[in-house]
Order: sequence, then structure tokens, then C-alpha cells
Amino acid sequence: MLEVRKLCKSFGGLQVTRNVSFVLEPGERRVILGPNGAGKTTLFNQLVGTLTPSSGDILVQGRSVMGLSVSARAREGLSRSYQKNNLFEDLSVRENLMLAAAAGQGKARSIWRDSFRDAEVRETVREVAQQVALTDMLDMPVRSASYGSRRQLEVGLALATRPRILLMDEPTSGVGPTMIESFHRLLHSLPRELTVLIIEHDMDLAFDVADRITVLNFGEVVFEGTPDETRGNKVVRDIYLGDWQANA
Amino acid sequence: MFRQSPARTLVLLATLAGLAVYASAGGYFAREIVVEIAILAILAISLDVVAGFGGMVSLAHGAMMGLSAYTYAIFSVKLGWPPLPSALMGIGASALFGTAIGWITGRTTGIFFIMATLAFGQMAYTVFFKWRWLGGDDGLGGLSRFDLGWLGIKMGDSLTFAFFALVMVLAVYAAAAWVLRTAFGRTLTGIHTNEDRMRALGVSTVVHRAQALGFSAMLAGVAGIIAAQHILYISPEMLVWTVSGEVLIVVILGGLGTLIGPLLGAVIFVLLKHEISAYTNHWHIVIGILLIATVLSGGRGIYGQVEHWLTRRTQPAGKTAEAPDA
Ligand SMILES: Nc1ncnc2c1ncn2[C@@H]1O[C@H](COP(=O)(O)OP(=O)(O)OP(=O)(O)O)[C@@H](O)[C@H]1O
Ligand SMILES: [Mg+2]
Repeated sequence: MLEVRKLCKSFGGLQVTRNVSFVLEPGERRVILGPNGAGKTTLFNQLVGTLTPSSGDILVQGRSVMGLSVSARAREGLSRSYQKNNLFEDLSVRENLMLAAAAGQGKARSIWRDSFRDAEVRETVREVAQQVALTDMLDMPVRSASYGSRRQLEVGLALATRPRILLMDEPTSGVGPTMIESFHRLLHSLPRELTVLIIEHDMDLAFDVADRITVLNFGEVVFEGTPDETRGNKVVRDIYLGDWQANA
Repeated sequence: MFRQSPARTLVLLATLAGLAVYASAGGYFAREIVVEIAILAILAISLDVVAGFGGMVSLAHGAMMGLSAYTYAIFSVKLGWPPLPSALMGIGASALFGTAIGWITGRTTGIFFIMATLAFGQMAYTVFFKWRWLGGDDGLGGLSRFDLGWLGIKMGDSLTFAFFALVMVLAVYAAAAWVLRTAFGRTLTGIHTNEDRMRALGVSTVVHRAQALGFSAMLAGVAGIIAAQHILYISPEMLVWTVSGEVLIVVILGGLGTLIGPLLGAVIFVLLKHEISAYTNHWHIVIGILLIATVLSGGRGIYGQVEHWLTRRTQPAGKTAEAPDA
């Protein structure tokens, strides 16, 4: 579904992505772990096209997307949520979701129809609002919504385009345990055919939802395997779990 | 998001009716003023579409208008085409010019976008200023108005022409309001709010912005046709950047992003200009003071400010959901 081949990226002398390769099967849930500054977000930015890799290739369903713009890749079914909320601040929660749903359904450009009155768009917004628990807040301006709600909307926007591949960058960063728990439920409720790649710091969540786990360190894939293999792996424990256990 | 509230419809119709009465009751001079207001209002509405809803502050709208007027002259005077197809060519040329500016400026925003539009506008100005075939800086006369004699309408009559100009204001407003309420307009507002995210959601924002500027230029082109037919003479003065600057002042004065505000702004601007210049040559100072007052009081413009007061009064404190008409 999504294949990354020997991806490299440097900022000046700093190599932030080193020869990264992996393959996501359709419907796979993959979690990327790695300490701060490991190059996780930078990897996402290359996947969606906001950053151009120094070398390597990215394939979606066997076709290279290297020549495609950010928007063209999104239309290929790639959707991402951001580590730092990146919302339509001046608009309401509903309007945010409407814009995303309309774009996902190719209804963002007509000068004859109003996407906000489109039945299919509205239905998608209703469903997504339910998924991310924002149904009661649809008419609230994003500006005045709480951090937690904005975080939910961040994921909602990525979901509302109805992607084939969903990339989520630390969706639970900065939120409390209750919200992390409801995020677990959200992940389990996603359609099984959706391919999901999550950057996550929360270990329980990672072990709970992942089919496979990829560990990045200094821009390099230092480990890839199932959650069980990850738990038992010494390298991972050294660079990551030790840290995690120390924090726990 | 744009909403054509009942209040806006009321203000639109009342203003146009008021101007129609003024033109009918007043003499020749009043009719000239009404046409002047209509031209400025159309330009201001067209600028508000991109500046207020797309975040693209353009200083090329005068040039768009002028290009349309000159194209009209080329086809009707130089090539002998009838007025209507010539006018369509003019509006089309202006739309193309706007689309091209949008396309070329691509990802530039803010001050760089403003400067780029200024440069394109001045380029167009220079072309017509130097082009002897079109009269160069002397301008070009011999234009004609639409022939609506078959409808029993005499366009040569100053009152008829004033009415025609007002009908065009209504048409342009309706077109702008329509487009802003379609998917295209929604997405434009999305791009204005967060272009990055809109792109990540799958919208080619550069194309979208270029099309929006093309649409806006098309509306500005309508103003060019009216201006050309009004005094039956055109000159490069139409394309000077200060014309665009004045339009921008009108939009800000009336209320950026309200669509109806620019119409009010045009009325106030032209009336003040004529009233004040009866006493003093320094009417720009008065406009300047008004502009400063507008900006310092929150930048909502005259209509935006009134709307703000009204919604605050009608909505209980704390419940500010869905900023009503923004
Ligand atoms: N545009 C840039 N220019 C230069 N250096 C950058 C740029 N973007 C990221 N970096 C550097 O690349 C490294 C990896 O950053 P990245 O944001 O990808 O890390 P991360 O794994 O997402 O970390 P975190 O867990 O803190 O989010 C960091 O050292 C960062 O300073
Ligand atoms: Mg990161």
C-alpha cells in the first residue's frame, strides 16, 4: 500500500533521514516510535510532499508519488494529521470538517453547487464528528474550543477526507488519560481496510493498536517487528524503553 | 464564511434604490455621480472577493478595469466590432489578465503578493501609455455605448445610463455573492484561513487562487466597460496604481470581507469627495482621517462595525457560536 525505499534527507550537514525503508500492507496498523528529534515528523513531511527527500523513493499502491505535489498526493488518498494543531482557526468546527469532507470528495471547486449543502458531505461530517466526539461542539468557533477538542478536530480533519492511508503525528500529544483512552477506541473503530501509520510516544497505545512497530533513532530504522518482538528487543530497550520505564 | 444575511440584502436594495432616486430627482450632475459610484462599487466588490475572502490584496484592479476598457476600444473602435461582443472581449481579457497574475504569483502572499500585483498593474499601464496606435498618453475617443434601441432603451440618455450602471452593480454583487456561497467560495475562504492545510486536504491552492483572481478580474472588467461607455473616451490614467489604491481604501472603509460594505464605501467615498471638494481641495485628508478611525476601531469598516454592534446586542454574552455574518 505504502512503500518507502532508501529515503534520505539532510538539512545542510545534518542527516535527519538515513536510508529509511519499510512497506505497509493494506489495512496494516504501523506505529513509529523514536526519541525526540529522531526524524519522525520529517519522515511524514516527505511522505506527504511538503519536504523533498535528498534521495530515495516513495510508492503508493506500487506507483511512485515523488513527482506529485502535496495536494495531488492527498487526492491519491494520503491524509495526515499534525503534531501541532493546524486548523482553520477562524471557522467553526463544522466548517472545518465540511472543508475537509468536500475536498476529500472532490467537491471543493464547483461554482454551481454549495459543498456545505451537499448531502454526502454533511453525512461524512456527521460520522466523523461522532468518531472524534465533537458532535456537540460542531457550531463552536475553533478559536474558542479547548485544546483537547482541537486535538480531536485535528484527527477529524484527517479522517474527513476518507483517506486510504492515514498518517497521524502524535495524535495524543498533550492530552489527558481519558482522551488517550477514547483515542484507543477510535483507532479500533476505524475501517479495517484503512492503512494507518502513527507516530506515537504512548507505549501502551503503540502495543495495543500496532500490527508492527518501526523504531527510528537518529533518522535511522534501528528496529522493525511485532509488538511482542519490540518488547523483547535489546536495542529498542536501550534507546527507548529504558527511557520509557524511567519515566513510567 | 460568507452569508447573504437578510440585513445585507436589505442594505443592498435600499442603497441601489436610494441611488436610483437620487439620479432621477437630481440633474445631470447627480447622474454623473451615480455612475461614478457604480463603477467604484463594482471595482470594490470585485476586490473584496479576493482581498476579503481570499486574503489576496491586489493593487492591480485599476489595471484590470483599464485593460477591459482598452480591449473594448480595440475591438469596437479599431476593428469595428459591435459593442456587445467587444465588451465580452474586454471582460474576457481582464479575466485572463487576473488569472495570469494569480498563476504567476503562485505561492507569494502578503506584501510580496501586493508588490507583484502592483508591478503587473504598472506594466499594463506603461504598455497603454506608450502605445501610439491606441493614442498613447492622449487616450482614445470615439467609443460608443450599447445599442439597446430595439428594446426601446436609449442608452445615450444620462438617466438611462445611470440606471444601467446600477443594474450592473446589482448583477456584479449577485455574481460575487453566488460564487462565495458555492464550493469554490468555501474553499477560497479555507485557503485564506489556512492555505497549508487546504493543500494537505487535496486542493491545488495555486490554481484555486488564480481562478479566484480571474473571477475577480472579470467583475473588474465590467467596471471597465461601464467606464469606457460612460465618457466615451479612455486614457491610461484608468490603469494607474493610485486608482487601485483608492479601491482598496473604499473596501477597507466599507468593510473588508462583507461584500456589501464596499458598496457603502463607494457611496460614501464619492459623495464625500464631491461634497468636501466644494469647500476645500484637501478632501484626501478627510478620507485619511476616516480611514485611520476605521483601522484603529478594529478594522471592521463601516458595515462590519454596525454588524458587530448589532450581533453583540442581539446575542447574549458568552454565546458567540458561529460568528453570524463573517
Ligand atoms: N526545516 C528544518 N531545517 C533544519 N533542521 C530541521 C528541520 N526540520 C527538522 N529539523 C531537525 O531534524 C531533526 C528531526 O526533527 P523531527 O521534527 O523530524 O523530529 P521528531 O522525531 O518528529 O521529534 P519529536 O518527537 O520531538 O516530534 C531535529 O534535529 C530537527 O531539529
Ligand atoms: Mg515530531
